[in-house]
Order: sequence, then structure tokens, then C-alpha cells
Amino acid sequence: MRPSPKLRPTAWDGLVVLCVAALALGLAFFQWRGGTSEALTAVVSVDGTEVDRLDLEHWEGPQVYTNNGYTLTLSGIRHNDTENGVWVAESDCPTQDCVRTGAIFRSGQSIVCLPARIIIRLEGGTPDPDAVDAVLG
Amino acid sequence: MRRLAVSILLTALLLSGCGAQMSPDEAQESIQVLAMDTAMLITTYGERSPAAAYACEDAIRDLEKQLSRTDPDSEVSRLNASAGEPVEVGEDLGVLLELAKYYHGSTGGAFNIAVAPVVSAWGFTEDSFQVPSQAELDGLLELVQGPSYIGPRSSGGTICYSLGPGQAIDLGGIAKGYAADKIVKVLQEHDVPRANINLGGNVLAYGDRPDGTPWRVGIQDPARADEQNAFAGVLALTDSFAVTSGGYQRYFEEGGKRYHHIIDPSTGYPADSGLTSVTVVAGLGGGDGFPGTMCDAYSTALFIMGEEQALAFWRDETQRGEQGCPFELVLVTEDGRVVVTPSLADRFTLEETSGYTLEVVPS
Repeated sequence: MRPSPKLRPTAWDGLVVLCVAALALGLAFFQWRGGTSEALTAVVSVDGTEVDRLDLEHWEGPQVYTNNGYTLTLSGIRHNDTENGVWVAESDCPTQDCVRTGAIFRSGQSIVCLPARIIIRLEGGTPDPDAVDAVLG
Repeated sequence: MRRLAVSILLTALLLSGCGAQMSPDEAQESIQVLAMDTAMLITTYGERSPAAAYACEDAIRDLEKQLSRTDPDSEVSRLNASAGEPVEVGEDLGVLLELAKYYHGSTGGAFNIAVAPVVSAWGFTEDSFQVPSQAELDGLLELVQGPSYIGPRSSGGTICYSLGPGQAIDLGGIAKGYAADKIVKVLQEHDVPRANINLGGNVLAYGDRPDGTPWRVGIQDPARADEQNAFAGVLALTDSFAVTSGGYQRYFEEGGKRYHHIIDPSTGYPADSGLTSVTVVAGLGGGDGFPGTMCDAYSTALFIMGEEQALAFWRDETQRGEQGCPFELVLVTEDGRVVVTPSLADRFTLEETSGYTLEVVPS
């Protein structure tokens, strides 16, 4: 076996260190951006199956969903020219809970139509430090 | 030069490896479930979070199949249709019937699963609302206040229960709480470090949040029931169950009067106790092994009791020490107060804009 060469840092080693540092910083930045850059999205599920992901930056609706014998109309809404949201403009369900919920604008909020078995939930957007994790009632 | 190439290749491999292995807090699964007549949201963390979330859903669906009052094939439906004949029940229904019997006794009858025929007379079972006549209510109340179900009886290795003719039970007041108790076991089996489970107003705050702080759980302001993000206050919870009952959750209006779904078994009418919502909070280890079920049952019962009786009940349970089942309360009153029991005071923040006055119960 050949004896190991004497270990002494060279210019090449310095370059490797720089490359690794740059790569790590780049990846960290990429991941950080990835965590917050997803646009506010309305995720529509029917009978527990996701059927639509609506990017609220661009989507305005209206969109009609029919299930379990009921039909509801989902529309986009813009609040103060800055906040995007959605609301159920119309539904022929007996409870009208989905219509009464009104517009939702924040990630984590949802509109539920139990008779039609349809859920509209907001995901992504800018994280809100004051947001709650769950609501009782 | 070759050494440089090898170094970069090794580094890239190492970095890509790091990327593939997620930290337990990044591995997260969120699923929505429509079951037990409500919308549920299950968020689990950890490497086995997807399997855990779907196992939670399975547990809920399994219970729904046994306990639904509207599914004619459920054990509860078979018991309700049995006209006094003994019916074989499985382990879950057996446990629930015994727990319900205990809560009925401990709350002096305020919690009563046999109130089902009265709830149906008001149309809350089928969403066909009406105000029943006093004569109809009087007849039904005899069934509710009479001897409760009989059992358990062992018959040929099976456990049977029977109801009196015309009697019916509805487990809507404890089924979600019981599901939450079962979910704790599912989470433990899947080594889930933290989870946020919301079974339509029954919240299980399991562990803490990924940032190490308690889960933030908002209590809906009953006066602004139709508004999202309109809270009476926010609870900071770790390893806890919390359940809210309020008359604003389901109601109908007739002749200019509002009738809600929490029926007082002593009158047959919607409870009119001066409270607009009751939140019961308990730790994972409380409630005689069923803290979620206990919170669910007591939130309904204490709403019916009203402030004075509810606080007396809380005091009695607290003073029983290890014999009792400790729980904490947040009561929202019709006259604009939020009443919080002392141990919960430092975990409760009143929503400033709600206009309520905060009162902490003296220790």
C-alpha cells in the first residue's frame, strides 16, 4: 500500500469548501422560499375526494359543483384589492350553512356543505402568526 | 482535479440524502373526513403520519357504522327498533352505554341518551324542524324519564341490552368524544409525536405544535356564530381534549322564536339556562380512561344545567381529588361574560374585540 501523501490544504480544497457553502446556502434559500411561496389555493373535495385546486391569484369563478342531489355555486372574491377569497354564492341544500359561512380569506379556513358532502378549504398563502390551529363550536 | 470532482460528487450525494430524509415535523398529513354528521379535519405529524391519519379515519368510520341513528343497519338502529327485545351489542356500544349510564347519574339526569324520541319530535334527527305539541312532549318525556335501558346481560357468550317499548337512544352527545379517545390510541400506535384532530367541535390537541408552543384553539363567539375567526377567546392547549356545546350550532326559527338542538330532558324543550356555550377541557390522562367522551358528555349536560349548577358540579368533581374526573370550563353567558375556571385562566386569552367581560372563578 502506498503511504498517504502529506495532508496540507491546497487552493483546490478552498474551492471545494466554497462550492459546498454556496450549494448549502442555495438549497436553504430554495427550501425557505418553497415553504411560503405557494399561492392561496382553494381545495375542493367532494365525498372526500379532491376534485379541484383553485389558485385564487388567478381564479375568479363561478364554478358549479353537484353532488348527492344538491348543487352549489362557488365564486371568487377580492377584499380591499389585496385579499383573495371564495364564497358559496348559491346552494339548493336545505341547511344553507355553506351560504351562511360567507367568504373565507385565510389559509386553514373552510366552507362545509354537509348535505352535498362538499368541503372547500384554503391552503397556502402567507402564514398568519395569529391564526388558530382549530376552532371549537 | 479528480479529487475536486470526487469531493463535489460526494457532497452532492450527501445533500440529496439530507433532502430525502424529512424531519418528523415536516412529515405531515392532513385529511378531511365527512362523518358522524359533521366535517372533521385530521392533521398528523411524524414519519408515519399518512398511515396514522388514515387509521384515524378508519376508526371513525368503524364507529359511525355501529353508532349511527340514521343507518338502519347500525347496532344503535337495531337496538332502537327492537321494541323491548334484547339485542346483542359489540364492545364499543357496550362501553358507551355504560359510560352514558354513569354520566346520566353524575349529572343528575342532565345527560340522557334516551332523550332521542324528543329530539326527533323537534325534527333535529331528520332536519324537518317543527315545534311539537305539549301533549306529544308529555307522552315522550315519560319514555325519557322512565327506567333506562336494561343491560348488560350475558347470553350465550354475547352481551345484550334492551330498551323499553317506544324508547330510543342517540349517542350524538358522546360518539365524537369516544372517537377522539380511540384516536389517541391510534396516534400512540403510530408513534405520532403531535397531531391536531378536530372532529366537528371536538378538538384533540395531541403533543404540542411543531414550533414547540401549545396548539391555539379558538372558541367560536356564539353571538357571531356565522362569522369565521370570530372568537370569544383562544385556548393554548397541549395534550388535551376540548369540546364545546352551544345552542347556536343547530337551530330553527318559528313564529319569531329560535329553537336550538340541545334538549333539556326534564322539560323536553331546548335548554334555556342563560349560557350560550360551554367548553369542557381535560388532559389526556383524565376522565377514568375516557377523557374525550367525558368532555363531550359534560359539555352538553353543563349547558343544560346553567352557570350556577355547572360550577357547583365542577367544584364537586375537583374536590373529589383522585376519585373525581378533573376538568376545566369556559362558559359564555347570555349577559356578555366569559367565565373561566382558575386552572385554565393562564391558558385562556379573551378576544379583545368580542366585547365580553372575563371572570375567573375563585379557587
